[in-house]
Amino acid sequence: MTPSLDDLRVDARSGVGPPSVLQNGSVTTLRQTWILARNDLRQELRELELLITSVFFTVVILALYAVSFAEMSKSAQPKAVPGMLWIALAFVGALTLTRVFEREREADTFGALLAAPVNRVAMYGAKFSVTLAVLCVCAAVLVPGLLLVFPSSGVEGWSALEMLATVLLGCAGFAAVGTLFAAGLAHGGGKNVLLSVVLYPLTTPVLMMSLVATQRVLQAHPGAWDILAKIAAVDVILLIVGGALFESVLVGGAARGSGGGDSSTGAGGARAPRTGEVGPDMLGDDVR
Amino acid sequence: MSASIIPCELRSVVKSFGRTAVLRGVSLALDAGQITGLSGINGAGKTTLFRILAGLEDADSGELVFGASGEVGLREGVREQVAFVTHAPQLYPLLSARENLQLFADLRSARGCETMPAREALMTVGLEAVSDQAVRTFSRGMAQRVVLARAIAARPSLLLLDEPFTALDTEGQELVLRVLLEAKERGASVLLSSHDLARLREVSDRVVRLHAGRLESPREPTGHEGAEGVKARLPESSATTRG
Repeated sequence: MTPSLDDLRVDARSGVGPPSVLQNGSVTTLRQTWILARNDLRQELRELELLITSVFFTVVILALYAVSFAEMSKSAQPKAVPGMLWIALAFVGALTLTRVFEREREADTFGALLAAPVNRVAMYGAKFSVTLAVLCVCAAVLVPGLLLVFPSSGVEGWSALEMLATVLLGCAGFAAVGTLFAAGLAHGGGKNVLLSVVLYPLTTPVLMMSLVATQRVLQAHPGAWDILAKIAAVDVILLIVGGALFESVLVGGAARGSGGGDSSTGAGGARAPRTGEVGPDMLGDDVR
Repeated sequence: MSASIIPCELRSVVKSFGRTAVLRGVSLALDAGQITGLSGINGAGKTTLFRILAGLEDADSGELVFGASGEVGLREGVREQVAFVTHAPQLYPLLSARENLQLFADLRSARGCETMPAREALMTVGLEAVSDQAVRTFSRGMAQRVVLARAIAARPSLLLLDEPFTALDTEGQELVLRVLLEAKERGASVLLSSHDLARLREVSDRVVRLHAGRLESPREPTGHEGAEGVKARLPESSATTRG
């Protein structure tokens, strides 16, 4: 019988032949990611603050589009609607990212997590997942809403599966970059307005690629999967970079070497003085 | 659990914020079964020292050495054995006390770390009756007890308590003392800061004072009760000797 993850944990704790799968840092990271994401979702379900704010904002944007572009010609709709979709998601994304980290900022709970044996990649992964989930809910309102308001935006026979993949991959790329910078600003006490200044230039490539992919999907273009594959590749790179830089962004390099688990060799918290530096021993008194 | 991280040592740690030097070559050894009291005026750098020990702050230079093997730096394996109680609660206000503790217990369990069950830890701090209430409904003192419970549950080898008596009533302060003694009996090392020098002297095996970014032994008593650094007797185990 295949042991459950809980069984594996108990075995490891009791020291009875630690299972090899548990030694794999990625399993621990995934478990911690799930625990942290579940924690965020549990809080969200109690307050619904994040979801209500983001969905309400989405509906308002949709209503504004409907009123502003009601007279748009049928021929213009296939080109305009993808732009409307990704502009709306970019705004909702920035709003979501701000709120996602607000709870941690208000209670300084990131400090408690950073002091605990929690993999930093798991912290990044959890926030990324929650942001992506909220963006997907908003996209689930936006995409049908836009197609309803602008019925000529897609040709007959466009694939819903391709649209789903486009939205998922585009939002993932946006969230991968956004999570990294929103965390840094939230933890460092930075102004939220800075998030937009940093976020939009960095997410523009992903947004542009997603826009082109959406146009192709709606026009049933045969090359849609090509660009989706490229977005997926960019997402993977962004996620790796985001996970790797997350701790540095949060702590400014403190405890470096913990990001990937115990295998790291870097000294953290404090580093030895470089050769030639003024010896700090000259400054202080030892208490031993 | 991996080998003990105690003894732990800070070696010549320097930390500045901009042009302000906060720690100017601080060296401190923390041994097993020892409570070290840390005193100092506001802004002396006590919290910065704690944050460096907990891995929340990067030092400009110096070394952090853990365990007999001399492991340098804070990594997850080291963090498994460190608990940090700050004067700010750092709790999720929408979650109950039990859920707050359970979150950290689950995170530790995911790494295979031994953790005291949340309910048991809350019982230790006298909050079992309100364990399912949201933390946002708690008083400051109750929240501080939850934080203490979180630290107890981790059974740390290194317990860092930055002004843990803040907002606690008499019963809560006695609870902190019990936690300290339990940790000491277990062989953990405790670093404790407080502005209450009398209490610090009472509970600590030795007291060190952070002044102008440097660690020093408190001054000998001169008869002026209450002033920082005054009437600070050197404990039996001198602050200038290890252990």
